[in-house]
Amino acid sequence: MTDTIMEYLAYAAYGVYLLIIIGGSAVAVLEKNLVRAFIGLIATLFGVAGMYLLLQSPFLAFMQLLIYIGAVAVLIFFAIMLADSRSDGDEAGLVFGKKFIRAALAGLLPILLLTPPIFVHPASTELLPDVVTVAEIGKGLMGEYVLAFELISIILLVAMAGGVFLAMDRRKK
Amino acid sequence: MQEICTFFENIPPLALDVLWLVAVLILVIAYITVCALLLVYLERKVAGFVQRRPGPYEVGPYGILQSACDAVKLVVKQIIKPAHVDPGLYFLAPILSFFPVLLLFLPLPFSRLLTGMNVNLGILLVLAFSGINVIAVLLAGVSSNNKFGLLGAARGVSQSVAYEIPLLLSTLAIAMMTGSLSFTEIVEGQGGWPWQWNIILQPVAFVIFIFSMFGETNRLPFDLPEGESELTGGFHTEYSGMGFGLFFLAEYANMVVVCSIATALFLGGYKGPFLDGPWWFLAKSWTLLFFMLWVRFTYPRIRFDQMLNLNWKWLLPLGVLNLLATAFAMKFFPVVANFFGFGGAA
Repeated sequence: MTDTIMEYLAYAAYGVYLLIIIGGSAVAVLEKNLVRAFIGLIATLFGVAGMYLLLQSPFLAFMQLLIYIGAVAVLIFFAIMLADSRSDGDEAGLVFGKKFIRAALAGLLPILLLTPPIFVHPASTELLPDVVTVAEIGKGLMGEYVLAFELISIILLVAMAGGVFLAMDRRKK
Repeated sequence: MQEICTFFENIPPLALDVLWLVAVLILVIAYITVCALLLVYLERKVAGFVQRRPGPYEVGPYGILQSACDAVKLVVKQIIKPAHVDPGLYFLAPILSFFPVLLLFLPLPFSRLLTGMNVNLGILLVLAFSGINVIAVLLAGVSSNNKFGLLGAARGVSQSVAYEIPLLLSTLAIAMMTGSLSFTEIVEGQGGWPWQWNIILQPVAFVIFIFSMFGETNRLPFDLPEGESELTGGFHTEYSGMGFGLFFLAEYANMVVVCSIATALFLGGYKGPFLDGPWWFLAKSWTLLFFMLWVRFTYPRIRFDQMLNLNWKWLLPLGVLNLLATAFAMKFFPVVANFFGFGGAA
């Protein structure tokens, strides 16, 4: 009895998160006012965090909120605030032509890159996803996936050094 | 008694969970309201005594009804919307500022049993949802179409983003030491007497946490996003009535949350020399809250660049060093202890 209710609740939650993600991203793409588009982006990030919760990974969900909403989104908003973000500006309208095609290609790229591996190595479907604790994630990052982990940290380090370098250069002038 | 037990056994567990959650939320809202009323009164009274004046004394004995009057005034006041603002975003901001705060109270361990939701990742939950407040501040500043608001929001963001890092580093040191992100387990790892608290082992982390606590809650001496004397109220300049009231409530609730977290992480939480229980938790967290008020009326507001320098040039490196030292101590202390033969089971 309780299990069936839980299952329906899970479906309902899935639907709600899906609506939030799709609606939020639609607002983020189509809205002319940058601040409103940004709120759409935040809603999308929230929806994705909810999906992580449904997948039994509260750690990922909280990290999504902490990093994407607490840090990345805030910095994007900071940039929007300092820029001219009126809804009747020069670049506010929808884009057509070459730019549109390029954007569509860029959007399709992740699908093209990610579809083959997913089809070659399909994830096994299970009724309930495995619960992965924080300790296991940590051990995985330091053991099995240490190469990927270190590579990502090097990329981040290079990006950070580049950012500092550019800022220094600007300051001298 | 028997009847009550069977009554509860007959309810399906799901409904019981929902009932529990509703009860907890009601309790949290009640606690926030009581805290806000008490803190408003205390703030004025403490300010009065620090500055050698009586504080409020007209309404009720010793002026204790003052904050009730303030609350009624706020609720009754007309909500004004300035011209040329985006109404959706303008009214979203105070709501976005207040409602995540309710979630922050859920994992706080008031006692062994009195915890809204005993999550394994309690610390992360609090840190994750406290970030939304920054977005609310930004939204308020940008959408209210006011230069003071915009300046306040800009300050608020650079301040919150900066002070979140040392805050995280100091909490991480504790999490590393106890090997857990759950508040209850961290409190259970400490003893009742003051020398068994984490503050003895992690004094640097505690000091960093206290500094960041003021920075994150926008309290004096770090209240630059509001800065009445230069920004006329900062990000909430254009808000009136309950729009302002919600920001106000959120600020006080955030103060209570950070003080409660400091209590759980560093001061032994609900444990005391005798008779463990929520009274110890309340006593410790309210002592910290009193400390926050005391600081507010003792120190002047510092300059913006001074505040950011303090954070980036002192607190951040100190936090990293402290974390490294903790990691080394955790790794090498058992080895050394075993070598000299006085190590336990570690």
